[in-house]
Amino acid sequence: MNTLITILFVVFAAFILASAIMTVTVKNIVHAALWLISSFFGVGALYLLMEAEFLGVAQVLIYVGAVSILILFAIMLTRDLEGSQNRQLTPRWWIALIVPAALFGLLIVPTVMTYAWQLPPPPAGQSPAISGAQQIGTAFMREYLLPFEVAAILLLVAMIGAIVIAFEERERRRRVLTLAEQVRLRRQQRQPAPLPEPAATAIQASEATGGES
Amino acid sequence: MPSMTEAVPLPWVLTLAGALFCVGLFGALSRRNTVGILLGIELMLNAVNINLVAFWRYLEPNVVAGQTFALFIITVAAAEAAIGLAMIIAIYRARQTVNADEVDSLRG
Amino acid sequence: MTDILRSWIGGALPDWVIVLIAYLLVTTIVLFYAVGNFIMMVWAERRVVARMQDRLGPNRVGPAGLLQPIADAVKMFTKEDIVPRSADQWVHLLAPIVSLAPVAMMLAVIPWGRGWEPIDLNVALLYIVAVSAVSGVGLMMAGWGSNNKFALLGAMRAVAQLVSYEIPAVTALLTVVILAGGMSLLELPYMQAGVPLMGATILCGDAAGCSPSLYTTVTSFPGSPGEPVQALDLGLGWWVFTPVGLLGFIVFFIAALAEGERTPFDIPEADSEIVAGYMTEYSGMKFATFYIAQYILNFALSALAATAFLGGWQGPGVAALANMGGPWVHVAAALSAFYLLAKIWVLFFVMIWLRGAFPRLRVDQLMDFAWKLLLPLALVNIVSASLMVGLTQWTSAQWGGLLSLDGFAPWQRQLIAILVTAIINIAAAYWILSINQRPTQEEWIEEELVVAS
Repeated sequence: MNTLITILFVVFAAFILASAIMTVTVKNIVHAALWLISSFFGVGALYLLMEAEFLGVAQVLIYVGAVSILILFAIMLTRDLEGSQNRQLTPRWWIALIVPAALFGLLIVPTVMTYAWQLPPPPAGQSPAISGAQQIGTAFMREYLLPFEVAAILLLVAMIGAIVIAFEERERRRRVLTLAEQVRLRRQQRQPAPLPEPAATAIQASEATGGES
Repeated sequence: MPSMTEAVPLPWVLTLAGALFCVGLFGALSRRNTVGILLGIELMLNAVNINLVAFWRYLEPNVVAGQTFALFIITVAAAEAAIGLAMIIAIYRARQTVNADEVDSLRG
Repeated sequence: MTDILRSWIGGALPDWVIVLIAYLLVTTIVLFYAVGNFIMMVWAERRVVARMQDRLGPNRVGPAGLLQPIADAVKMFTKEDIVPRSADQWVHLLAPIVSLAPVAMMLAVIPWGRGWEPIDLNVALLYIVAVSAVSGVGLMMAGWGSNNKFALLGAMRAVAQLVSYEIPAVTALLTVVILAGGMSLLELPYMQAGVPLMGATILCGDAAGCSPSLYTTVTSFPGSPGEPVQALDLGLGWWVFTPVGLLGFIVFFIAALAEGERTPFDIPEADSEIVAGYMTEYSGMKFATFYIAQYILNFALSALAATAFLGGWQGPGVAALANMGGPWVHVAAALSAFYLLAKIWVLFFVMIWLRGAFPRLRVDQLMDFAWKLLLPLALVNIVSASLMVGLTQWTSAQWGGLLSLDGFAPWQRQLIAILVTAIINIAAAYWILSINQRPTQEEWIEEELVVAS
């Protein structure tokens, strides 16, 4: 059974790393996002292998279900049609290759491999008590209550910020009228001309300056 | 009940996380597309999470701190992705580009 | 399953091979069960909608058209598989698989009968929500990979709808998590034993004289911590009969309609607007895969709604048969599986009925409905569910001395809890509905100004 777990770990690790490398090297940005999703999946499976059930499921829910869909939406909203033929890497990409490679080869591997880890002895007989979803919930309500609330406020602020940044003003959009609105508009136009509205001129002014930054 | 702690030594997991972090770092440094940079950052955050969960599982399996931190990081990553992508969309609207080296109005 | 196989094969194979074979067998059975139901659902939908629209529906192949799905399948298999030249080959190929696989994975954690659970996962509810969110990636891949405007539009609509309606659905399921005190689906049917409205709170007077065909053993009352008591059980203590469960069920079922892209929420594949949405460029078996994924998703969501709110496999007679012991346990399991199937089909019939009765919503109406109506209702329901748990199970020490209900019998506490939650839920529903009916005058004026300019 232990060999089975070792094999599973090696397979997951290879899957995660291969997907990650494809994410950073593939030309098409949509393909990169899809490879990123498969990498997220591999990480979720690794959590399940490490018996962190709640975290594994949360990983799938948040990363695969929400973040990656957000990324795909953003890519499709910002697609520049000439983009895919252009080079995707910065001109000095080889420096960007050297730095992580050096970090990995000279710092991470020697440190991780030579440090003497103070592992707890393997429990005799029964399996050790592993904290699950219930313990996490209790911890969030007791010792981590303040960080939990801060995280909630962070999410709220992020949501408001995202809306404010990406909000497209309604006046700038051209609407397609429904039949009821057309009828209403025609009835309004048949009446004597209304006073010149300040709102309309404001819109025209904003249209004249809009689009620049 | 066989478990991962007996089958796989901790340094292997940490090496995997380190490799994933470095791949993400390469992606964040080398991509021109801002969305690509964001993808690299997400990979790096995932690598950190693997580390936290591995430490939790191997060193202190009955204390929730590792999982809790990992959950906070997931939260922050989600918020960061939302804000980052909103900014990318806003930049795209203003300048019709998503390339990081073309958005350089702060260059002296 | 593992134990049966072990007793059959014994020591002939290593243990992990037996476990593997057992899981493969269970997976195969569940998938066949779902696909069999899918075939019947397609037939039933066509016949029932035809009946509602005063037509006949398929009636040529086999008795009453029963073999029509098989004829359809043969047609699908023999169709040419067309991939557009400008499509992204791999993404186009993988999209149907990515949208079917998570739906099939949802089936793994649902208890199909008493003792017939494929897997006991202690985060099962979260797992179902997480896995169903993955199918959005498949839709996005289909829309983008086809390189077709209609497909992309349909995919964006589908994913926007999926993401928005996930929130009310999850919030409605949270009430179940609060009531059950955990996320395991396995426990839910056992917790919904008892009689309507009161649940398993009507206790037996003297423990010796209780007939085992009417009473069941319950342990979850504050008066008797850990000490089992006998409660009256008709198998009807479904949560849908309580105010909390009713509101949760309504919200969840509407959200499930939207997640399964059923009419009136079939905007992503509105054939009069955008051809067939993300399925536009698919033909043959790939199209059939999307079709199967959609129906199995509806099947799984109905099963989830039935398990979470309608008692799952719980029904009259199951507990009595199970208490008789011996071979009757298997009869009880079969009866319970039948109950769950019947509930799923009733829910599916309601889905068909809605399709026959309602026109399609507009996108802004869709979003308003989710964010302004369903989500507030679900949030109020969470408060009610917490109160329900507090009023029925907490001791006065847990209330911090604010409230002492220790002197009351379980059924009295249940009655108090039902009254309180009913008042909260009805008031909230009335208020939220009245807010939503108010016409939004300001927006109209603003839009007219814009139009006039």
